[in-house]
Amino acid sequence: MKFKDYYETLGVARTATLEEIKKAYRKLAHQYHPDVSKDPAGEAKFKEIGEAYATLKDAEKRAAYDELGRHPSGQEFKPPPNWAGNQGGQDYSFDGTDFADLFASFTKGRQHSQQQRQSRPIPGQDYELTTNVTLEDAYAGTTVELSFTVPEHDQQGQIKHVPHNIKARIPKGVINGQKLLLRGKGGKGFHGGADGNLYLNISFIPHRLFRAVGHDLYIDLPITPWEAALGATVEVPTLAGGVNLKVPAGTSSGQKLRISKRGMPKSNLAHDQAQEHGDLFAVTQIVSPPVLSEKDRELLQALALNSTFNPRAHFK
Amino acid sequence: MHMETSEVVWLDEHHEVSLLELVELSGLTAQDLQYLVEIGALIPNNLATSDLVQSKPSMDNLSISELRFSSHTLVSIRTLSRLKSDFELEQNALGLMLVFLERIRNLELQLHGLEGAT
Repeated sequence: MKFKDYYETLGVARTATLEEIKKAYRKLAHQYHPDVSKDPAGEAKFKEIGEAYATLKDAEKRAAYDELGRHPSGQEFKPPPNWAGNQGGQDYSFDGTDFADLFASFTKGRQHSQQQRQSRPIPGQDYELTTNVTLEDAYAGTTVELSFTVPEHDQQGQIKHVPHNIKARIPKGVINGQKLLLRGKGGKGFHGGADGNLYLNISFIPHRLFRAVGHDLYIDLPITPWEAALGATVEVPTLAGGVNLKVPAGTSSGQKLRISKRGMPKSNLAHDQAQEHGDLFAVTQIVSPPVLSEKDRELLQALALNSTFNPRAHFK
Repeated sequence: MHMETSEVVWLDEHHEVSLLELVELSGLTAQDLQYLVEIGALIPNNLATSDLVQSKPSMDNLSISELRFSSHTLVSIRTLSRLKSDFELEQNALGLMLVFLERIRNLELQLHGLEGAT
């Protein structure tokens, strides 16, 4: 395992008082807490800060940490035998053990608490993961495979990091940003403690045509100037196949034309209910031909000469 | 290797959890949650609307275990629980924090809606 300098992480001297440690932690927590900070690296940084604080605020853990001596951060390191008097002479292997794990399960009077720990239920840790799904998969429902590493106690009560792979059924009707709960799929509980839970955040992979807003979908609908002026029936793609949409005469750019119930399916409480859907909105975009044919130019010039329409009349 | 497929629980406006489930899943205590209900920061689905206009909603007609909440509440309550633990917050700060968390959530939803619609 690699040594971590907790004092350096918190930016305090090794002689810092508890109050100084708390003050340093709070300052850094305001800066890096993932629920507060917008810094993408904040979560990992806060984990380091929280780990350091959890050890240094506890007098007994701090004493055990200090007993390990001073080493540069990141240096390969192994706790000495009988470290902190808590190994009871047992031949512990620290393979697969993280530095933080040394202190995570370090409880008061640890050398006398082996028996107590064997009977005390320890709940499993909760985990939160984000999975990326396509709009098509969210529309139809899908199954995703999730891989993550969880710390588990071995038979000696030591924490080891164990890979977990599970499949989760993503029901149709999930929306971007949806949270789902997989009960009991987090870290394993110990000594009868309940298993932790897994929280799954659904994130949509950007679609080339559609934008999802809740259960509604939006699509940009390019139309020609003459389709906008005269009206037209155009085919619009949906996730369930194309539909014909009537563009009314006199349509402007940016108008939203609603295609009812062609959005994302909604979650139903009762299984006998027909599945409801959000709507699809086609947002019109008037697109001029980049290159005009001779005939097009003649027709448009004739229109320009004869039309009295002035979209800027209100400027006057 | 065979992997069993796990079923998910929705965390949204349409599915409900009890107060005891909120305690079990969020890490906040029943006392914390009861306090949030009493000050009106956390609104159970089955508490009468007339109770909510009072400064301190009466829960006389409903026992704590009967209170039902939209399951999406769990998302904010878990955040609140993390903030309480990581910033060592006292109970009286929780209500204010929850109100702000919900306000941010609603504003983010509105912003997302505006961004997607244009």
